[in-house]
Amino acid sequence: MAIGRVTQSMMMRQSLAAIEMNSSRSASLQEQMSTGRRLSRPSDSPTDAILAMRVRAEAAANKQYAANASDGAGWLGQLDITLGSMTDQVRRARELALQGANDGAMSPAAREALAIEVEQIREGLITQANTSYLGRPIFGGVTAGSTAYDETGAYVGTPAAVNRTIGNGVQVRVDSEGPAVFGPDGASLFDDLAALASALRADDGTGIRSGVTALAGRLDALVDARTDVGIRQKRIEDVLAATVDTELTLTARLSDLEDVDLIKVAIEVKLADVAYQAALASSARVLSTSLMDYLR
Amino acid sequence: MAGTMASFNTALSGLRYSQVAMDVASNNLANVGTEGYVRRSAVAASMSTQDVPALWSRGSGVGDGVQVAGINRIADQFLDVRARKEHGNQTYLDTRAASLDRVEAGIGEPGPNGVAAALAEYRAAWQNLSNNPGNEAARNQVLSAAGALVDSFALQHRNVATEEEALRGKVLVGLGEVNTLASDLARTNQSIAEARGNGIDPATLLDQRDRIAMRLSELTGATGALRPDGGMDISIGGVALVTGNRAATVEATTGVNPDGTGSGAVTLAVVDATGTTPLTGTSGELGALAELLTTTLPSYRAGLDAVAQEFADEMNAAHQAGFDQAGNPGQALFSYTPPDVVASLAVAITDGAQVAAAAIPGGGLDGSNADRLSLASGIEGSYQRLVGVFGTEVSSVHRLAENQRVLTQQVDNSRESLSGVSVDEEMVNLLAAQRAYEAASRVMTVMDSVLDTLINRTGLVR
Repeated sequence: MAIGRVTQSMMMRQSLAAIEMNSSRSASLQEQMSTGRRLSRPSDSPTDAILAMRVRAEAAANKQYAANASDGAGWLGQLDITLGSMTDQVRRARELALQGANDGAMSPAAREALAIEVEQIREGLITQANTSYLGRPIFGGVTAGSTAYDETGAYVGTPAAVNRTIGNGVQVRVDSEGPAVFGPDGASLFDDLAALASALRADDGTGIRSGVTALAGRLDALVDARTDVGIRQKRIEDVLAATVDTELTLTARLSDLEDVDLIKVAIEVKLADVAYQAALASSARVLSTSLMDYLR
Repeated sequence: MAGTMASFNTALSGLRYSQVAMDVASNNLANVGTEGYVRRSAVAASMSTQDVPALWSRGSGVGDGVQVAGINRIADQFLDVRARKEHGNQTYLDTRAASLDRVEAGIGEPGPNGVAAALAEYRAAWQNLSNNPGNEAARNQVLSAAGALVDSFALQHRNVATEEEALRGKVLVGLGEVNTLASDLARTNQSIAEARGNGIDPATLLDQRDRIAMRLSELTGATGALRPDGGMDISIGGVALVTGNRAATVEATTGVNPDGTGSGAVTLAVVDATGTTPLTGTSGELGALAELLTTTLPSYRAGLDAVAQEFADEMNAAHQAGFDQAGNPGQALFSYTPPDVVASLAVAITDGAQVAAAAIPGGGLDGSNADRLSLASGIEGSYQRLVGVFGTEVSSVHRLAENQRVLTQQVDNSRESLSGVSVDEEMVNLLAAQRAYEAASRVMTVMDSVLDTLINRTGLVR
């Protein structure tokens, strides 16, 4: 500054400006220090503010995806258990059928006992086909009712997929459609079992043998359905694991964008404080001196 | 050759001049803290026997003492012009920055309480409903999340509207001050012309003139032009406000009513006897206020309206494509009245059963439309852009104001360096004048003693 003539009020004004500048710098650093945030308003850094908003939106979506995946895992777990126990039941029914088919010299009473057991298995399977998760039948599609099959074994659900969104645009089906697993009405697992029971009663060898064949096919279908459920479960588990990683990454990213580096700010606060005190001290010295001190 | 007694007169002129120099120094010292005071200095001129030598006249050439040639008011009108311009720019930027800061504080982004956060909650509520389409609580949660989102939009809108209201009040206060100052300046111009005519020193009036002109520049970015009679004409963007002893008034022709209400663009105009001339290129505080009210704040509100409208339209379309709990087609989820979208935005549904979560009719527990709704409308992008652009504007105006401050301080320093009172310098001037006064008195004593020797002792023999 090439100024020859310096007046008292110039010095005063400059001292004041320096003190104000230093104290406002101190105040802004204090704000960062006490809030722990580097980014309190969009103008602190417009680009970072937009990024922070994006990261926040992504974190919220990620949290929701994790919640959706957990819910889906519940559905699929229930499906897996149910299909497993149904497979066991069908296998038992097939054993009974084989027993009826092999032993031609069975008494009518013994055949009747076999038929009754097959019927009981059938009722048990219908009950299991009505298994529900959180009040909704898992084979019933989107039905508003509480069952997928009525007591005669007829499908009463509403066939439609129950999906869970587990990622951006990624959906996983978490139910299995009754007719697809157990066969359509009139040609379903339950109809097969009913036919088998009456064939056993009537000692109809051909009927029993075709029942055995049909049940073998049903078993394959059940195992296929269970494999499919397993694959979907795996997908959901992968996504759940990934959402945990993503959450960590996003939290770190948000902290990077919004939070202060405490050590750095602490040092800056100290520096600003030193500068402030220097401004005060030099103002005090400069402003108190004048020619008057030396004139007598 | 001068007479014997002439030296007394010479000494007397020295005494008189020193007296004036001390007066000037003490006046400067007294005004060391006066805003807008320009230091004066006494100008000395030596007196000669004959100002205009006659043909046969002779003079010894030693001179007849000193006289006060004038009291200089040490100011530079070019520096003053520059200072007024920089001060106008400074208040323009400072006013803008202060107002934008207030609006920005109300945006609440990035953070857990802004529109973006409410939007995320809203989407999460739809996803929850998609997972449990039969759940009454999940249905009502969607409605309350929608209400919270509408509220957070409305809060921002209200913040901006409140700021606009406050600014309109400030425009009125600013206009009042401008008009008072303009008529003050016209009166001061008249007084300066009269003082000049009567041979009175108008320095104090000139200080006042410059002070008023500076404040007018700060308020409106007005420029001043000196008149031959010492007064100053003021014009804003080329339209004359003060001419000599006549002052026009500045009024808001649109946008601000006399009671502080109003809406729309703010236009200022100079009104005088010949008619109304609209102002363009207004700077300073009023220029900043007019621009904020005409462009900056309304465009932010319009941006918010556009985002809200895009959101409501897309949500309504998606909602109407679905079916509610009873299996009936969905209704519009949000209602609004253009063009004030945000101000009139409301959730149109109150019954949770009417939330259209299903994509298939018949009242089943399908949640796929809820899933679709949770993903519908990508307004995050447009909202982030809106906030980002606003943030950039705020940080840019802060940077500009900071740069301008350096410039303004520099010009102020140059001006102060020329015109400001330095206590040390005045003390030195005072001492010098005191010594000169003492010396002139000593001359008188010497002359007295010389005459005493000549008159009383000459020819005496003891």
